[in-house]
Amino acid sequence: MSERLRIALTKGRLQDKSLELFESMGLDCSPVRNPGRRLIHAIPNYPLDAVLAKASDVITYVEHGACDLGVVGKDTILEKGGAFYEVLDLDFGCCRFALAVKKGSDFYGTYKTRRIASKYPNVTRAFFEGKGMDVDIIKIEGSVELAPILDLADGIVDIVETGATLKENGLEPIEDVAQVSARLIVNTASMKLYKSEITDFLFRVERKLGEQA
Amino acid sequence: MNIHINTPEGTRDRLFSECLERRQVQSALVELFRRRGYTEVITPEVEFYDLFVQSGNPIPQEAMLKIIDRSGKIMVMRPDCTAPIARVAATKLKTLAFPQRLYYDQTVFRSGQANQGGSSEIAQCGVEMIGAVGEKADLEMVAMAVDSLRCCGLRQFHIELGHAGFYRVLAGRMKMSLDELERLREAIEGKNFALLNDLLEPYRGEDAYAALRRLPYLFGGMEVLDEAQALAGACDSLDHLRRLYGELSSAGYGDCVRFDLGLVHQLDYYTGMVFRGYAEGAGAPVLSGGRYDGLMEQFGRKAEATGFAVDVDAVGACLTIKTPSLETVIHYGPGMLSQALAVVDSRPAGSCELSPCRTLDSTMNLAREKGAVRVLLLDSEGERWLTV
Repeated sequence: MSERLRIALTKGRLQDKSLELFESMGLDCSPVRNPGRRLIHAIPNYPLDAVLAKASDVITYVEHGACDLGVVGKDTILEKGGAFYEVLDLDFGCCRFALAVKKGSDFYGTYKTRRIASKYPNVTRAFFEGKGMDVDIIKIEGSVELAPILDLADGIVDIVETGATLKENGLEPIEDVAQVSARLIVNTASMKLYKSEITDFLFRVERKLGEQA
Repeated sequence: MNIHINTPEGTRDRLFSECLERRQVQSALVELFRRRGYTEVITPEVEFYDLFVQSGNPIPQEAMLKIIDRSGKIMVMRPDCTAPIARVAATKLKTLAFPQRLYYDQTVFRSGQANQGGSSEIAQCGVEMIGAVGEKADLEMVAMAVDSLRCCGLRQFHIELGHAGFYRVLAGRMKMSLDELERLREAIEGKNFALLNDLLEPYRGEDAYAALRRLPYLFGGMEVLDEAQALAGACDSLDHLRRLYGELSSAGYGDCVRFDLGLVHQLDYYTGMVFRGYAEGAGAPVLSGGRYDGLMEQFGRKAEATGFAVDVDAVGACLTIKTPSLETVIHYGPGMLSQALAVVDSRPAGSCELSPCRTLDSTMNLAREKGAVRVLLLDSEGERWLTV
């Protein structure tokens, strides 16, 4: 008996890229593209149901086993953590976490405790712990670039794609913190209970990624 | 005064069916444990913090619920049952002949992160066999793990076996720093294939490269052991697992036993076989155990030990249990108490109860409110059944 797997996709940019990938594998994703009022979308030609969720909810659904699989950015995984298998790097949604400061300022050249603004306090803490540095971390929900401009913080740790926003605001990235891309994650119990179904899916994704590379 | 109607984060009131689930699982397990010669140990809910640091079982400091006693010592709500039992076995049970077979049925306390939906109070039933080593001891433990999940009433489940020694052998062949090895172990435990490939890339030429790279994939049936042997060469841990499986199969346990050689959690703690139980309907392992021959020594007495714990509520949640519904209310007259109680006691629990009302009218009302089907009237004129 073949089980239908359930996958949680991160809404937004990763959702489009995920669907492109699945469609290139021959999956009919039209129910996800034309959702109507439905929340669970059955893929007609493969035993897979898809749901759409916010990034950190994807992790929650997969960790609790409400979904067997998930597509989520490494940024969210680094920030939120959790117990699941992170099986594949999907190679899209690529960007990086970087430490950025006001252009021309000497971030490391002082004995004062530096203050860092970020939407990702855990990533920030881990980064500076790794350097053996004590810093004050301030969690900001909106545009983090504002914090150094208003002298609230000495630097920021944030997602950087092109660096254009930083430049416009007189900031510059001085150090990479981590590379980010979309990952395929699997619930630990599902991996064991539905081994053949999940490995079949992983194999198809991996083969497609191999072709694209 | 304000009365708090909410319970603290991570705790909950368990009502009716949740209690039935828990009690049914507990009594099934306890009966099995006792039948197999295990005797019960109850340890304090509160222990010294140092005990769990000393045991080498890496429970993160922030996961322990701490209390400071009057002398200023740090104590914790028991976060695990194995360390306290090892403490007892190494000290108070010093004169009891080996192997000692001990079981427990108690709650462990672990504070998780806020708003994650997890419970801080985890009901565990488990066993420890102390002072026995070798294949037959391991065999008994795995068979008991299978029987434990079966006797609880689970249908779709399996026990997955691994061996701490297999990874140790492979890791020992790599010229890696301790930091790198720890990252390697994490990548294998998390089945993070991408990271694992990156970590191993510089070591492509090395002897254990191919086996380590495949390790996260090495879960499934017997074929996994063959593949591991082809990659890594013959080794004791694989032979041990193969012999265990042979014996388990011939005893009829083969269908419930699989392998995961990528079980590499808590490697400083486990010294031999490790295993986990998975059940359909549960998003995380419902049973976990293994062999930890170094543990007893931490408490001053060298002895081998093996055991496992069942997450009682996680198993209970996989079962479908019907709460009994009230059918009969008994209205009894003067001098009829013993007859009335005899009727209640002869019925399935929860299906029949006495009415405390003086008049039959009130009893009929009560029966209607409680959703009972009929009223049994017992008085000097005999017994009559009335439909509600």
